[in-house]
Amino acid sequence: MPRKVNRGVDYDEAYDSYDDYDYEDDNDYSVDSPAKVEEPQQKVKKLWSCSICTYDNEEGMSVCDICGVIRNPVAGDFKNSNKKTAAFKFDAPSPDDMVSTRLQSSKLNTQGMFFFFVLIAVCCLDFNHSETFHGSSGSIEGHNSLKKGILSGQLSDEASGSSNPLKIEGTQGNADDDFSGQKQTAPASNFGKMSLSDKPGNSNALDSRKHKSTAEYHPDKWMLPDKANDTLTQLNLAIVGHVDSGKSTLSGRLLHLLGRITKKEMHKYEKDAKIQGKSSFAYAWALDESPEERERGITMNVAVAYFNSKKYHVVILDSPGHKDFVPNMISGATQADAAILVIDASNGAFEAGFDGSKGQTREHALLIRSFGVEQLIVAVNKMDVVGYSKDRFDLIVTQLGTFFRSCGFKESCILWIPLSAVENQNLVAAPSDARLLSWYRGPYLFDAIDSLQPPARDFAKPLLMPICDVTKSSSQGQVSVCGKLVAGALRSGLKVMVMPSGEVGTIKSLERDSQSSAVARAGDNVTINLQGIDLSNNVMPGGVVCHPDYPVAVARHLELKVRALEELAVPILNGSQVEFHIHHAQAAGKVAKILSILDPKSGKETKRSPRCLLSKQSAVIEVVLNTPVCVEEYSNCRALGRASLRAMGRTIAIGIVTRIIQ
Amino acid sequence: MKIVRKDYLPDGPGSVKMTPVDSDDLWFAYNLILPGDSVMAVTVRKVLREMASGSRDAERVKLKLEVRVEGIEYDKEGGVLRIRGKNILENEHVKIGQFHTLELELHRPFVLRKQVWDSLALEVLKQASDPTASADLAVLLMQEGLAQIFLVGRSVTTSRARIETSIPRKHGPAIAGYDSALNKFFQNVLQAFLKHVDFNVVRCAVIGSPGFTKDQFHRYLLLEAEKKELRPIIENKSKIILVHTSSGYKHSLRDVLDAPSVMNMIKDTKAAEEVRVLKDFYDMLSNDPDRACYGPKHVEVANERLAVQTLLLTDDLFRNADVPTRRKYVDLVTSVKGSGGKAHIFSTMHSSGEQLAQLTGIAAILRFPLPDLEDIEM
Repeated sequence: MPRKVNRGVDYDEAYDSYDDYDYEDDNDYSVDSPAKVEEPQQKVKKLWSCSICTYDNEEGMSVCDICGVIRNPVAGDFKNSNKKTAAFKFDAPSPDDMVSTRLQSSKLNTQGMFFFFVLIAVCCLDFNHSETFHGSSGSIEGHNSLKKGILSGQLSDEASGSSNPLKIEGTQGNADDDFSGQKQTAPASNFGKMSLSDKPGNSNALDSRKHKSTAEYHPDKWMLPDKANDTLTQLNLAIVGHVDSGKSTLSGRLLHLLGRITKKEMHKYEKDAKIQGKSSFAYAWALDESPEERERGITMNVAVAYFNSKKYHVVILDSPGHKDFVPNMISGATQADAAILVIDASNGAFEAGFDGSKGQTREHALLIRSFGVEQLIVAVNKMDVVGYSKDRFDLIVTQLGTFFRSCGFKESCILWIPLSAVENQNLVAAPSDARLLSWYRGPYLFDAIDSLQPPARDFAKPLLMPICDVTKSSSQGQVSVCGKLVAGALRSGLKVMVMPSGEVGTIKSLERDSQSSAVARAGDNVTINLQGIDLSNNVMPGGVVCHPDYPVAVARHLELKVRALEELAVPILNGSQVEFHIHHAQAAGKVAKILSILDPKSGKETKRSPRCLLSKQSAVIEVVLNTPVCVEEYSNCRALGRASLRAMGRTIAIGIVTRIIQ
Repeated sequence: MKIVRKDYLPDGPGSVKMTPVDSDDLWFAYNLILPGDSVMAVTVRKVLREMASGSRDAERVKLKLEVRVEGIEYDKEGGVLRIRGKNILENEHVKIGQFHTLELELHRPFVLRKQVWDSLALEVLKQASDPTASADLAVLLMQEGLAQIFLVGRSVTTSRARIETSIPRKHGPAIAGYDSALNKFFQNVLQAFLKHVDFNVVRCAVIGSPGFTKDQFHRYLLLEAEKKELRPIIENKSKIILVHTSSGYKHSLRDVLDAPSVMNMIKDTKAAEEVRVLKDFYDMLSNDPDRACYGPKHVEVANERLAVQTLLLTDDLFRNADVPTRRKYVDLVTSVKGSGGKAHIFSTMHSSGEQLAQLTGIAAILRFPLPDLEDIEM
């Protein structure tokens, strides 16, 4: 198994003891090359192959990274390699390093000493700084920043004094201090500011870390998309709608027409479907693979399929429509950038789907909106049943149009397309039926997909990937997780942290649409194979794969800004029990407190601590969950800050996370 | 609860000797015994004895002690009630005034002496000694990847097992992984089911889930029972009921108790009644919010205006050590009953009681709308 990339070397070798760490050198480094900051250098190094698992390890390793076998024969230049590690370390201390040093320091109970070191380092830096860069004129400035440096040192000292080293939040704050102090990436004055903001409260410590992450994170070149290489961008397209409106059939038909399903497979589906007496489900069977789904003729879990349009790599997320599977739909379709809402045009079926208390059309549309989807294609399906009647189509457009406006969809972002999946009208080519042709002049579905605007992506932010699905392979000792990258980029060999357990693993390989790929960037839907992660139940859907330096927050007490949906069966009260859904995670919890009701238009507070929250009201509430989930504030990361609340099998409110309390 | 001997005056002093026979009874006892009462029971105490030679010897002796109650603890999982207090019964090993903690367990009789047996205490006693009100129900709540087993008793719901696994969704060829993961999950659930559900005790076992997980598991259960000859399941096939719930979390228990098929089985029991009343309250709150209120202040005001039709209270309000506070709630209940209303006391060990406890523990459905309640600070 040749290892393609050498990144992450320093992580491997970073478990050196605290005593080895030389601040003077660190200091030198930052003065010499202040521009070389965040990401470790990529150097080509010699590899040695493990005799047991044939894994290509770094030269500096004395044991195999994968199987822990001792290097055989032992490297002759072990000393030499050791030296090399030391030299290499100065490039950029890894977080592991930080953690291990901090742990050790707290073990030795020399935290005070440690900060003293930092303080010295800061002072030295400042002097050097002013001398080398500002000359004589900088001396005042140097003096100033020295003062600040001392101040910050004291402050962080205080912070460490007040917080028990065993307390997680406290140590996190300290780790931050250590981090910036050792690295000296920011000028000292900046550092002072940071530790000042670090001081009050735990949540603030968290905040400052987050701010730092966005400010200080510099992506590598490979992380940013290369325009020349690949002209198609990825588009995650959710297909939603009321049960039996033909979502799976539409998806299956599209895939078939675009040649993603071979004739042979299609023939098999048709034959099997006929045997079960469900020949109309043949296309849906391309996506509904499990026997349970086929037998019942409904989709239960979100199916993922891929095809290419002229502009996009399209990932279809075919959602279940049945009301019992809305949780599955939520966890599957949160990845969507745009959506196709399928409407059953036949008489009675549209009305049933649009009915507020029983139908899922409204619920799905609102949920999709709450996932941040702004562009919507409304596919009015089964037009063949109503004889391609223009009146019927117009009626549906008027009724739904009003509703979409109330949900917050812009009219210009909605495309209305009449079609028939069964008769193949208006899917990938202009309609052939005269009845439809006589009045419809708009685009066909495939065209409409291309007319969608490409979504904005956060390539330059630290890696975040909510885990949608996990498969474990105990024979290979690896865990495959799949999901959509919300921010950042990945490639094999990279070390990543899996939250909430906080385990660090190595990416072995990447897969997209069952084909291996070299790099994945924000917006891509990929499967990654991780190594070095405990195979017991630590990795679950709902976790988040993130950059080891910038772990996502794990919290159970949140402040949300929500909007209650219409026709609530039961008003939301203080203490209402709810199911909380955020990205792929779900947890049971309760509404701890309704803080205030907001005016839906202006967003101003109209009433404080109300008794209950009724339909269509907007409010700020606090939610306490039974189990913690990975979450980010909406202002930091939109995809991880969008939540929905459900109770008694219905979605009762959608909203955003405004504050992480605990 | 078996009442061995009764000797009291209503609203006056007296004593009752009783024997708890099921775990619910301990809960009743927990609600009956208040700080200030005295409890007499047989107990074991480690006694230090000084020998003539000066050496010390510890010995465990069985004693009969009576303590004046100062603290009381209910251990739900262990099924033990711990009563802490000062000894008031002279004994050769334990002096008067020495602290002792009595442990009340099933089938161990004890004598409870109270200064005042108020109407509520008598009510609890009556309920506890009524064997027909029992609703022993085993509930298996599932959703894909999560299963929980609960035993719903007369006034206590205990969580017996929780199984959580990650089940891969379908992604092309990974479909095989889905099947094996689901099978493994069912296997674990079956183990837990066999371990915790005793058909000699429960009236029926309910499997509840959203979607088809319950049907899948039911099929698996019967198949495995045939295969492995699991007698308890084969014999009690008819006692297994499938119910649709909205999720696999604990608060979906109300869907189970609400389901008509289960309702028929447990119709007259307290658990079912609580669910019904709470549902009425929620319905009223959403249809006519002025005719429903919660929070002690609001309910009190409503009661002063004789507006309370149905009063909903949790039992932990009565467990208040502060006698005037307890008195206040007792008076509230009597006054509501006096003005023709109904009062329901919820067990906080049930999911409906838990929900009510979240809403401050006290709520009321009103006879006529009181829109101005909104303006009173809670």
